[in-house]
Amino acid sequence: MAEEVNTFDKLLNDLALKIMMVDPGDLSVVGDLILDLENLENTPDITTKFPHLKQMALDLRAVLGKIVMTDIDDSAENFDIVGQCIGLMEEIYRKNDNDSESLASFNKLLSTLSSSPAAAEKPKDSPPEEQAPSPAQSPSSANSAPATEAPDKPVILDTKPESLDFMEDMELLSGFIEETKEHLESIEVNILDLEDNPGDMEIINNIFRPFHTIKGVSGFLNLTNIQALAHSTENLLDDVRNNIRAMDESVIEVVLKVGDCLKLMADNLQNTIDNGAESYKNYDISNYIRWVKGVQGAETVEEPATASPAATSAAPAQTTESAAPPSATTPPLAAAPPPPPPKSSIAPPAPPAAAKPKTKAKKVGATIKVDVDKLDGLVNAVGELVIMQTMVRANPHITAIADPKLNKDFGQLFRITSELQKTSMSMRMVPIRQTFQKMIRLVRDLSKKTGKQANLVMEGEETEIDRNMVDSIYDPLVHMMRNSVDHGVQMPEERKRLGKPVYGTVSLRAYQKGGYMVIEIEDDGQGLNTEKIRRKALERGLIQESDNLSDHDLNNLVFLPGFSTADQITDVSGRGVGMDVVKKAVEKLRGKVDVMSEPGKGSIFTIRLPLTLAIIDGIIVQVGTERYIIPTIAIRESFRPRREDYKTIKGQGETLLVRGSLVPIIRLYKYFQVEAKCTDPCEAIVVVVESEGKQRAIMVDELLGKQEVVIKNLGGITDITGVAGGTILGDGRVGLILDLAGLVTAKMNYNLDLPAAVSKDSPAIKEVTEPENTADSEKTTESEQIS
Amino acid sequence: MAAEQTAVTDGTENGLGGKYLTFSLGSEEYGVEIMKIREIIGIMEITSVPHTPEYIKGVINLRGRVIPILELRLRFNMATKEYDDRTCIIVVEVNGPSGPIMIGMLVDSVSEVVNIDSAEIEPPPEFGTPTESENILGMGKIKGDVKILLDVDKIVGAGVLEHLEASA
Repeated sequence: MAEEVNTFDKLLNDLALKIMMVDPGDLSVVGDLILDLENLENTPDITTKFPHLKQMALDLRAVLGKIVMTDIDDSAENFDIVGQCIGLMEEIYRKNDNDSESLASFNKLLSTLSSSPAAAEKPKDSPPEEQAPSPAQSPSSANSAPATEAPDKPVILDTKPESLDFMEDMELLSGFIEETKEHLESIEVNILDLEDNPGDMEIINNIFRPFHTIKGVSGFLNLTNIQALAHSTENLLDDVRNNIRAMDESVIEVVLKVGDCLKLMADNLQNTIDNGAESYKNYDISNYIRWVKGVQGAETVEEPATASPAATSAAPAQTTESAAPPSATTPPLAAAPPPPPPKSSIAPPAPPAAAKPKTKAKKVGATIKVDVDKLDGLVNAVGELVIMQTMVRANPHITAIADPKLNKDFGQLFRITSELQKTSMSMRMVPIRQTFQKMIRLVRDLSKKTGKQANLVMEGEETEIDRNMVDSIYDPLVHMMRNSVDHGVQMPEERKRLGKPVYGTVSLRAYQKGGYMVIEIEDDGQGLNTEKIRRKALERGLIQESDNLSDHDLNNLVFLPGFSTADQITDVSGRGVGMDVVKKAVEKLRGKVDVMSEPGKGSIFTIRLPLTLAIIDGIIVQVGTERYIIPTIAIRESFRPRREDYKTIKGQGETLLVRGSLVPIIRLYKYFQVEAKCTDPCEAIVVVVESEGKQRAIMVDELLGKQEVVIKNLGGITDITGVAGGTILGDGRVGLILDLAGLVTAKMNYNLDLPAAVSKDSPAIKEVTEPENTADSEKTTESEQIS
Repeated sequence: MAAEQTAVTDGTENGLGGKYLTFSLGSEEYGVEIMKIREIIGIMEITSVPHTPEYIKGVINLRGRVIPILELRLRFNMATKEYDDRTCIIVVEVNGPSGPIMIGMLVDSVSEVVNIDSAEIEPPPEFGTPTESENILGMGKIKGDVKILLDVDKIVGAGVLEHLEASA
């Protein structure tokens, strides 16, 4: 029971989130919505418990279906109505009320939707005004609307497979799915590369080959749909290879869209393998194939003689204008001035003589895929080896042997094992390049869709990130990129007026700094409207009129949940689409987000992520019987305090005068509840650390030494404030690694005396700003203490 | 054997029969499904972790892997006992919130592996309070003895760790 309710909850939440993220013209999200609704309908018990919900889901799905078929306009207003419908469904579910009142208002909403003017009769298959006015279309494809908008999602015919004989050899099939996805990724990378090096035959070949492979293998596996689609695309590309036509915008569009479609079908196959044959969906791809053939056909007719370069360049230009940006065919956007073709979009096929193979094709080193469990096993085994080696070396019998040869051999052995350890560690780190490369496509699509012009500049793609974080960082990154292009960069005309280059620049940077991996997204757009944010925050009661917040503090309010829903963004500042979602995702990875913005100049969003699993350099300290590791990077100095530098405040808050500033003392043994040898700060050693701009003096018994340690999680024990993880020390025991950021904040609550005095005055600010700005508020605290 | 194993994980009323590892806590004898057990190790130095419930004794290094140790006596609110050479850590694998996790259970001593027929297993007695019996799969009777068959997933699994996360 509870489980079912949870499923409802999850699905409804999911729906609400997705409808929020949907953009006009972004039909893939609509596809997801439809799937979710389907799942909702199929939830057991829905008929008995929420009969209305089921009906509503059915109706809504039908409407969404119409949107996909462009019977209903996919405008922002209509999505807004869909959003309201979903809101109503949620309400019904929450209140658990099955009365018909909500249903009535739901139906009313739906009917406004279906009767919206844009939904005027629009025959499905005939080419209306937005259809490509391509006079030279091949006659055969005239009624099948060849060069029209790319089908955004293959229509699901039914869920009953006609024949699933390809399911016979699961192993081959899953191998094929893996391979196909890899191929598709390489296709995407190559095609984007091609935009920079148009006409490079080597790259075109690199795009052609994977399609050929996919066609071959899918044919072998009897996956007729995939085969047909890959085949038709291959034919199109073959024309390009043979210089019959140019690798123009329309071909690129075909390749990208077909790639998406193939990926969808591959996912479907994977789903079928996982969940059994019932979940197989039979996609109707005929519209795709028609489209591909249309693009190919139109071109071959248009361009009978390959000789004249003038003709070739004219032809693609025409198709580009008519057929290219697919979203431009949707009425609201079509009204806007057609976006100028992106800089590298169309290029006549370079005459063979001039086609210098500038093979700048991304060199992808040979790699193999390894099961993560195996890798973890290796890392653990190597760790064990290193520890055992240390123990053997420390054995008294061994140390008694005074043989230089043995010592030399031990030295050699140590070198080998540490090399082994480093290598095995690095295997879990991957360059962030792949994630970044996906952004190229995103920015390209976004700028097309919004009619803006944005260049993506990437730096530091080599920066390594933990394999496990790659997937989790993707979504927040997409969100922020979307934000920067959509809301940050202004329209070309606006930019011209402001004297900025027409092309907006969005920079994506990654680098390592201070034990963190930093990802920055910078745009040279309009920046945040701080004043509007302030007004909105006041309105929502997040801050008070009397609060004196810096612009930086105010800007960071966009990460609060209150600033998340669609209409508020446009109201507030044109920025901040669900930025709290980003914040949440990043914080889950124990990272931080921050925004810096200058009105009119642009904004920089910064994500800081810890380098988990990386080897960190630490100082091992002893407190009583326990040993802890303090990350070296945060340590400023360590010394035995002099009596005269030790000051207490109100008899309880302990501080130490370090180089002219008062630094609060943390008694580690007290916080960790262990018996310490030294309880007098002047007998103990203090380690001055800095985290987030705050300094603390950590009191320990002894410093034991410096060592590179491997962060390990504590096997299920998570979120202990002040503990970042554990590591295995030389003697095989576990040592805890201190999480200074956590310790510093935790300590504040522990010794409430010092900072409380200031923050108590303005509890409202504290509550709001604390997540982002503890550093700042803390600094003021400290400076006040000093004065 | 294979059939037995699937029956064990089944957890249905009469599917509880199978092999159990028995161990003692004070005068009481307990049993844990053998399929849940990864290994048994002697007591070793435990690194305590601050701000965790009392029964989480800390963490150990199990061949390069850090795993939490749960003192079963404290988990059951029993008085603690000095560790001796019979004290053992039974390492079990349970379902955590994000995949299987390994956790060590600290017990007084390990006894033997016994085969208990499902016919010999009775449902847990009713104590009136649900908390007393919710961790128990059933009561196994062998040669006049009664073994308390524990549901490790509930005792050390998700529930405890969630609690951990909440309390931290």
